[in-house]
Amino acid sequence: MTEESLLGRLYEDGETIVEEGMQSRTMYVIQGGKVKVVKNDNGNETVLALLGEGDIFGEMSLFDASPRSATIKAVGEARVLAIEHEGLMKRIKMDPTLALRMIKQMCQRIRDLNARLIVTKKAMHQASEGLLQLQRTEGVPRKDLEPKILAMVAQLQENLHTLTEQYVPRDESLP
Amino acid sequence: MSSSFTIHVLHSHPKACCLHNVISTRRGARVILHDGARIAIIGGGPAGSLFCIFASQLARDMGMALDFTIYERKSFASYGASGCNMCAGVVSESLVQLLALEGINLPPAVVQWGIESYFFHTEGGSVEIKSSRLRQRGIATVFRGGGPAGSLAKGIQSFDDFLLQRAVEHGACVKRTFIDRVCMEGDKPRLYSGGKMLQDCDLLVGAFGIKAGTGKMFEDLSAGYKVPPTTKAVQSEIELGSDWVERRFGHSIHIFLLRIPGIKFVSVIPKGDYITVSVLGKYPKSDHITAFLDHSAMKKFLPSGFQIPQKFCHCFPKISVGAAIKPFARRAAFVGDASSTRLYKDGIGSAYITAKAAAHTALLHGIGEKDFREYYFPACKSLNRDNLFGQHLFFVNKLISVVSPVSRGYFHIVQSEQKNLQKNTPYSDVLWDMFTGSRFYKDIFFRTLHPWFILYLLGAVVLYPIKKAFLFFANRWKGVVL
Repeated sequence: MTEESLLGRLYEDGETIVEEGMQSRTMYVIQGGKVKVVKNDNGNETVLALLGEGDIFGEMSLFDASPRSATIKAVGEARVLAIEHEGLMKRIKMDPTLALRMIKQMCQRIRDLNARLIVTKKAMHQASEGLLQLQRTEGVPRKDLEPKILAMVAQLQENLHTLTEQYVPRDESLP
Repeated sequence: MSSSFTIHVLHSHPKACCLHNVISTRRGARVILHDGARIAIIGGGPAGSLFCIFASQLARDMGMALDFTIYERKSFASYGASGCNMCAGVVSESLVQLLALEGINLPPAVVQWGIESYFFHTEGGSVEIKSSRLRQRGIATVFRGGGPAGSLAKGIQSFDDFLLQRAVEHGACVKRTFIDRVCMEGDKPRLYSGGKMLQDCDLLVGAFGIKAGTGKMFEDLSAGYKVPPTTKAVQSEIELGSDWVERRFGHSIHIFLLRIPGIKFVSVIPKGDYITVSVLGKYPKSDHITAFLDHSAMKKFLPSGFQIPQKFCHCFPKISVGAAIKPFARRAAFVGDASSTRLYKDGIGSAYITAKAAAHTALLHGIGEKDFREYYFPACKSLNRDNLFGQHLFFVNKLISVVSPVSRGYFHIVQSEQKNLQKNTPYSDVLWDMFTGSRFYKDIFFRTLHPWFILYLLGAVVLYPIKKAFLFFANRWKGVVL
């Protein structure tokens, strides 16, 4: 890609574009490169999605004026075009169909979240069923139960990890 | 059969129409697009392509499929004037953002240069203006055709060709046929080329820009339609090499407000290896280009010993400076420059607005004259009204540039504002929005009417000479003491 002919602003690898909790209503469209959507939970960073060229982000704060719900960081060099909030809202009032693509993308994200919710529910259900079965088992010494519990926890962690891995690439194909 | 006669018959006897795409309502016949309807678009520039893209997208959302044929004689991939739609080739900040929201991201081969600021050069000095809202390269410069004559194999992709290819992806069929006759046969427009009938269509879209001959053909077809008035500009492409362009022009568009006879103002637009010099004046001539390149203010931007080539790519594009009268008829709509366009600015942005409004009217409301009048025409009227505010703004701008103390005062305020972009920059924003076309003229106009805006400017007009005089005497005094 020719640097001179790329629009937007260039972000270095790992540079933060949007900070979770910050107040801002600017929306972004990726012009080149990739960015990741991360959620910080007590110092643990969970990657929620990986977005690529043409993808939109930051649209939630544009509409509900709430603080940013996640952090967005550049993965490698990424060039991102910011969409100014005030001008866009005026345009959407004049031409509501402008919001259609954003609504479609939000619909896709809700579908993905629903799918993730079902898979999480299944994994949690399997784990609780296993624990109940162990509780019902009588006469087994405690030291024999420990490896089984640890194996179940490992399986649960594996399931949740697969869940994130499985749905991160799906967001790349968002319209 | 004349078009007006056909229309008259249909309005008089709405029930007599048994066409399957005419719905009888209590108020009369309503003409709508049905599944599989044929749409002929005359002109494959941005307005024609965008109409096709928006109509096709909406039709798909509504569960319909339409048949689009775009008639465009030019190949935009060609070099020189034969492939070019002759325009300065600036895609405004707001249009870049709107297109990105529509999913049309301009690729690097189309964007010749990303622009982040404007430089204003006057006889009194220069000032750079950046947007206080977004600090980014938000404006794109493009070639409308395959590039200037002689630019073979430089990896340039035409902006018009890019949009046309997107229209093809949306199902449009592009024909290189020149339409020389259009008439109403029965209820539908019929297209001819060289005496041969090509097709009937359910809807005819005129996106032919400001071509006089084609415009006349449509004036004859559609009762009441009149093409917009135009003026001429002169522009040329000068090859300097991308390193030189980067070093001397940066990522800025340069506006020269100089006192050269016959010239209103000159824009210099960087585009990769080239700069586009666009001169606006009353009676533009190629001599104006040479006079400008010879001016001392411009010479410092050119390599030493730069000689104007004997043959350089230049053209005299027409610019629409008014609005078309009644840009619609039953089963016909005119979009882009053939309809309404923003004064001196953002012609491609106007094509976006009119093409989208016409596409949505055709799909959501109907293709009768009444539908276009009620739902499409307001978009054109809004542009026309906005241009009235634009005329006032350009008049005041001219007035300010003539009255030296006021222009100096304004210049001084803008210079101070640009030193600290974190604070409010209302005077810079007015210039930025006027010259980039990123806001409607009406918005800008009302901002300039704010009492504080006027008072502060008047204050600067009075205080600036006093401050200058004070500094002058202070320096002299310092000199005497030392």
